[in-house]
Amino acid sequence: MIFDYVYSIVSRFVFSPLSYIISFIIIAILAVIVTAFIPVFIGWVDRKYSARIQSRYGPVYVGPFGLLQNFADLTKMLGKRFIATNIDVLAFNFTPIVVATSSFAMLLLLPLGAPGLEFISIPYSLLFVYTLLAISPLLLLVAGWGENNKYALIGGFRGAAQIISYELALIIVLSSVALLSGSYSIPAIVAGQSSIWYGLYLPVTLLIFIISGLAIIEREPFDVPEASQELQAGWKVEYSGIRYGFFLIGDYVRVTVIAMLVTYLFLGGWLGPVLPGVLWFIIKAAIVLMIILTPRWIFGRPRIDQLIKFGWNWLLPLAILNLILVELFVVL
Amino acid sequence: MEHKDRIRMNIGPVHPAMHGVLKLILDVEGDTVVKAEPEIGFLHRASEKIAEMRYFSNYYPIMDKLDYVSALNMEILYASTVEKAAGITISERATYMRTIMAEIQRIMSHLIFIGSLGEDFGNLTSFIWALRERELLMTIVEKISGGRLAPMYMCNGGMFYDFPEGIDKDILEALDKIENKVKHEYSAVFTKNQIFLSRTKGIGIMTKDMIKRYGITGPIARASGINRDLRKVSPYLAYDKVDFDVPVEENGDTYSRFIVRLNEILESIKIIRQCLKQLPAGNYKTAVPWIIRIPKKDTFVKQESSRGEMGIFLVTDGSDKPYRLKLRSPTFFAIRALEELLVNVKVADAFVIVASIDPVMGEVDR
Amino acid sequence: MENLSEKLIKEFNGKLDAIKGQNNLNIVALKNKKLIKKLSWEIKNYFDILYTLTVVDYSPVFELNYVFSNYENDDILIVKVNLDEKDLSIDSITDIFDSANWEEREAYDLFGIKFNGHPDLRRILLPEDWPGHPLRKSFEINDEVRHWTGLDLKF
Repeated sequence: MIFDYVYSIVSRFVFSPLSYIISFIIIAILAVIVTAFIPVFIGWVDRKYSARIQSRYGPVYVGPFGLLQNFADLTKMLGKRFIATNIDVLAFNFTPIVVATSSFAMLLLLPLGAPGLEFISIPYSLLFVYTLLAISPLLLLVAGWGENNKYALIGGFRGAAQIISYELALIIVLSSVALLSGSYSIPAIVAGQSSIWYGLYLPVTLLIFIISGLAIIEREPFDVPEASQELQAGWKVEYSGIRYGFFLIGDYVRVTVIAMLVTYLFLGGWLGPVLPGVLWFIIKAAIVLMIILTPRWIFGRPRIDQLIKFGWNWLLPLAILNLILVELFVVL
Repeated sequence: MEHKDRIRMNIGPVHPAMHGVLKLILDVEGDTVVKAEPEIGFLHRASEKIAEMRYFSNYYPIMDKLDYVSALNMEILYASTVEKAAGITISERATYMRTIMAEIQRIMSHLIFIGSLGEDFGNLTSFIWALRERELLMTIVEKISGGRLAPMYMCNGGMFYDFPEGIDKDILEALDKIENKVKHEYSAVFTKNQIFLSRTKGIGIMTKDMIKRYGITGPIARASGINRDLRKVSPYLAYDKVDFDVPVEENGDTYSRFIVRLNEILESIKIIRQCLKQLPAGNYKTAVPWIIRIPKKDTFVKQESSRGEMGIFLVTDGSDKPYRLKLRSPTFFAIRALEELLVNVKVADAFVIVASIDPVMGEVDR
Repeated sequence: MENLSEKLIKEFNGKLDAIKGQNNLNIVALKNKKLIKKLSWEIKNYFDILYTLTVVDYSPVFELNYVFSNYENDDILIVKVNLDEKDLSIDSITDIFDSANWEEREAYDLFGIKFNGHPDLRRILLPEDWPGHPLRKSFEINDEVRHWTGLDLKF
């Protein structure tokens, strides 16, 4: 755990209660840097990658290869005026705060590429991450209601329906992996894959996890609640400035979290020969991230009824069947 | 409102998925549209009134801005009308050149349609790809006329300039590229894409009866099994000297409308290739004075524009300006069908259906 | 086509005139505007749609040009009807040719011609409270037009 490490260094120089506070502050600053850097960098990757698919250049002007473009955009957002009127102030402001904090908390809970390299370590961290992911329907409904806008309301309803349809499949898949490894803690799950990756003999589970994960974070092609064409931006429509910036950051954090979860649960996390574990983790997570980012640029968006039908008729039964098979496998 | 669970959505005139400034008033129950009312007129610029104040030669820039996605078709239509009314005959080379320009513009317009249809259900890549192919032809139009979106190339009696040297090579090269993309890449992105198929097949079905009732023409009518193309029915320009097919589909859904336009691109490529091969030497322009006077008469000319049959009813009174110029726009009729088409569809489908009509509001509102 | 206009002229003896010699268009002129519906029913046998409706302002007379067309061939029939400035109303043919709906609304909008029996005769291109009918030759850009600020929208 990062905190223990920092604390052990700080306590050499400063006496006990103060050292605790100082190391806490250091940790907080570190966490802010890491959680702010990751989404902005992933956002850059997404923009460059989509540009390559669409035969464009993508950002080029700000920084080397346009690396600082997203920082520039976020800075610009800070200066934007707040224009929504007739809103429910509490509901309106509640959502971006919770989206941002819950997304950052997810990053803090997950180990960043090596056992013990996490900011907060709790048992059942996987379940807690899932809870933070699955909090969205409430947020969407609150935001859609608070914005006093019909597009937002319809977007909120759609979002709640979609996420409820898919989060069940996600937790079932999560449970089947936990069943296999006998634990909900990530180091234990990774350790369980030392002989063979779960993704290799549970490919269907991996697929269900990626699909339902994309649906929960509303990544295209599952961005029906946002539907920038018909609903403009769905439940985000009235947000502007840094409130909208929080959503953007939150989106990329969630994409990163899904990629990290896939790596930990199915691709053996930091396990690998020769190279150090962190490097293995980064390579795997980057590949998964690219795969996750791709559908947005090559698929259209299904209709909401098709999406929900797919969730309940195919994904959920498949996930349950999968759970039963895994259970049988474990028992036998 | 009497229905408690009904929401009235005013979509447009400023809305990212609305083509231009179309406004739709949708009554929505949950995610289903129960009543739809299209509202137009937000781009009304009184083009018909402007015509009464301008010399015949000075109206071309206004024609450009009607259907700004296929501006050359508009110019050719107006030029044909004025020439018919004034009894000006254009050289054979000019008819071929106009045919080539009209078909280049048709391909560009249909590429925009394909892109925006994909874009309207979330596939941004298709839009950018379509624009990439359109850019090839844009460059050629720029080389020929000097303009891009509103080229201002036609004039009474022919064209302002001749084709530049070696342009036929450029055109053929661009056409080869586009044909390759349309035949292979687009079929992979669209016609083999399950999400695309599920979003377009069986959506927004227009029956033959409906087409005839609303007076819809062009690709939309041909997607519903009506085999009518003015280029075949009453050949104008050089269309009777080239060999091409009229793509017709039977189902009348959004997918058929897509396929008809996709095939029309291939047919247009065929036409341009033949025209370039047959392109005769000669004058590109008949000398016509800038200010002409046309005796009192009525002239009605209709041509197949990218969106259907565009017509001009020109009333002249012997002066140097039109006495009355009425524009018959195809999408003006097609948009009215949205009242019926959008009922009982999902909100998401409503936008795909609007995109499949392919309205350009400049031409609807005039 | 020749037969059709001749047949129509025979049927409406005296009320329908043929106008020839203009760009090979089939033009007939209807003398009595009350017969437009009867004529439309007759035309419906041969033509599918009202292709366009052109109003020409020859003040004090307004000339309506109904252009009919069909889907099978290239035929076109133009029916001219004259309306007097004092009584700018004519029977709507929307129940016969449904495609006339928006064309008639446009004629009402830009010329102020009233179509009796039209299901939804509102302005279509211009705002509902626009002063005057701009495509008339008598339309002037006066102060009312210049200071028009838009209609009060009800949400």
